[in-house]
Amino acid sequence: MSITASGIRRAAPAAAQGGHIVVRGLTKRYGALSVFEGVDLDVAEREIVALVGPSGCGKTTLLRCVDGLIPAEGAVLVDGEIVREPRPGIAMVFQHFGLFPWKTVYDNVAYGLRMAGVESAEIARRVPQFISLVGLAGFEKAYPYQLSGGMQQRCGLARALAVDPRVLLMDEPFAAVDAQTREILQFELLRIWERQPTTMLFVTHSIEEAVLMGDRVVVLKGRPSRIHEDITVDLPRPRSRATFTLPRFAELRERVWSTLMSEAKKAEFQVGP
Amino acid sequence: MTVTTITAVAPRRFQMTGPTVPRLVAGLVILALWEGVVRGFAPDFVATPTGIVLAFPRVIVSAPFLAALAQTLGAVAEGLAIAIVFGTTIGLAMGRSVLADRVLHHYVNAFYAMPMLVVLPLFSLWFGYTGAARLATVVFSAIFSIVVSVGDGAHSVPHDYLEVAHSFRAGRICTLFEIVLPASLPYFLAGLRIAAGRALIGAVVAEFFTAIGGLGYFILFNSRTFHDNTAFVAVVFLAAFGIGFDLLTSWATRRFLPWYRRDEAAE
Ligand SMILES: Nc1ncnc2c1ncn2[C@@H]1O[C@H](COP(=O)(O)OP(=O)(O)OP(=O)(O)O)[C@@H](O)[C@H]1O
Ligand SMILES: [Mg+2]
Repeated sequence: MSITASGIRRAAPAAAQGGHIVVRGLTKRYGALSVFEGVDLDVAEREIVALVGPSGCGKTTLLRCVDGLIPAEGAVLVDGEIVREPRPGIAMVFQHFGLFPWKTVYDNVAYGLRMAGVESAEIARRVPQFISLVGLAGFEKAYPYQLSGGMQQRCGLARALAVDPRVLLMDEPFAAVDAQTREILQFELLRIWERQPTTMLFVTHSIEEAVLMGDRVVVLKGRPSRIHEDITVDLPRPRSRATFTLPRFAELRERVWSTLMSEAKKAEFQVGP
Repeated sequence: MTVTTITAVAPRRFQMTGPTVPRLVAGLVILALWEGVVRGFAPDFVATPTGIVLAFPRVIVSAPFLAALAQTLGAVAEGLAIAIVFGTTIGLAMGRSVLADRVLHHYVNAFYAMPMLVVLPLFSLWFGYTGAARLATVVFSAIFSIVVSVGDGAHSVPHDYLEVAHSFRAGRICTLFEIVLPASLPYFLAGLRIAAGRALIGAVVAEFFTAIGGLGYFILFNSRTFHDNTAFVAVVFLAAFGIGFDLLTSWATRRFLPWYRRDEAAE
């Protein structure tokens, strides 16, 4: 991959990319609580899979397992290698931003590169590029408390993108921002992905966002939860605001919505776990 | 009537001037009572506010006072530096390692609660009536509050930060210095404030006890030779130390740690 002043451009040959996620029979328990059971999931190279499901169904937990942050029964493989610990080339954007308050925007974005052992000249070259990529140019020296929620989220995104990951795990990356900023960030991310398609597992609460971003929408639900539906999103790329107006978009949104609603209705009549 | 005008223009100023006036009046009343009682009933050598004020310009430029001040503050600075380095190290170990915590927890708490007076005879036995005994007392007085607060801070580092570090494959040592240490900083500063006060008490008490010079000895010597007013100048300096140290730390915090805002972290 090479980065130019105009942004990121794909230069690496397709075969070098990687980022194929395979999840087999994954079960996670916290003591007596079984979060999910027997989850099977495949995400192909450069594919975006949106993961939706009711709050508490284990979406974050699943991402943590794929990142190798927590152990679980079953197997997670990325490019054929079993994931037990966080691996190089897999980066996470956290639901809680995870910015370090004592580091500036620059140092937060540089953090992943430094931990990966990238040499300092290369870090000094890449960090400003990713900062401007997410639209934070001019805020290099700002501390997280000086940024809005949306800007903090962009900073977290830049930190993850900067390590040039094969796999991006995104945990509700736009949940903390207002509707307009959210839309701007969605299209920015799609633009970045068009230039540098990486594999993405994208957790969201927004059905529209799931359909807009995903090649597939996977619905996780139940107690313990399982993968309930795997909906292929056959909308053309590149996607833009015009995508919202396609009749097919509305159909897919309804389909995801009714899958989720049947769960919500049932939940109303169930008391306790 | 000035106050009334300010109230009308800027009500917020009034909140500051309001308590200040009674506070000043109360202070003046106390000082006046002190002056009156001493003049009326006590012998001549007993300190009075006016006596202290009059002694002030003479004492603060006198060689014995300056030497004593330098000795005491030097010992406090040196002892605090040692306490900070070792206290932070032990605190981090206790906060991040269950084993270190199990081994040290009770001992640290026992020493933390122990009055420094009881160890002074031991220290003067081990180190003699020297500056080393004072330094040991200062370190002993200061170190445990730093250990305890840094330990608490290191123990309660938000899991979110550690998760990010883990995700980016940070090593243990690196995480300790880059994540745990800065995240514990608010606790460290709280501990340091307590430690500084205790360090000063330690230094002065050691000087009383071992008569090795410094402000403690200065006070002791001058009051024994009936120079009460002179002794009290040193007392005023000791009282000002707490305020001075507070100002110094908040200045240093603003200057070097702009991200750390006390208003948010304070509890
Ligand atoms: N460390 C833990 N110990 C015990 N239980 C946990 C732990 N982490 C998560 N859980 C439980 O696992 C379940 C799933 O949590 P998770 O955070 O994965 O949900 P989620 O789908 O991401 O929810 P949300 O949409 O609200 O972010 C919850 O019931 C939660 O209480
Ligand atoms: Mg979550």
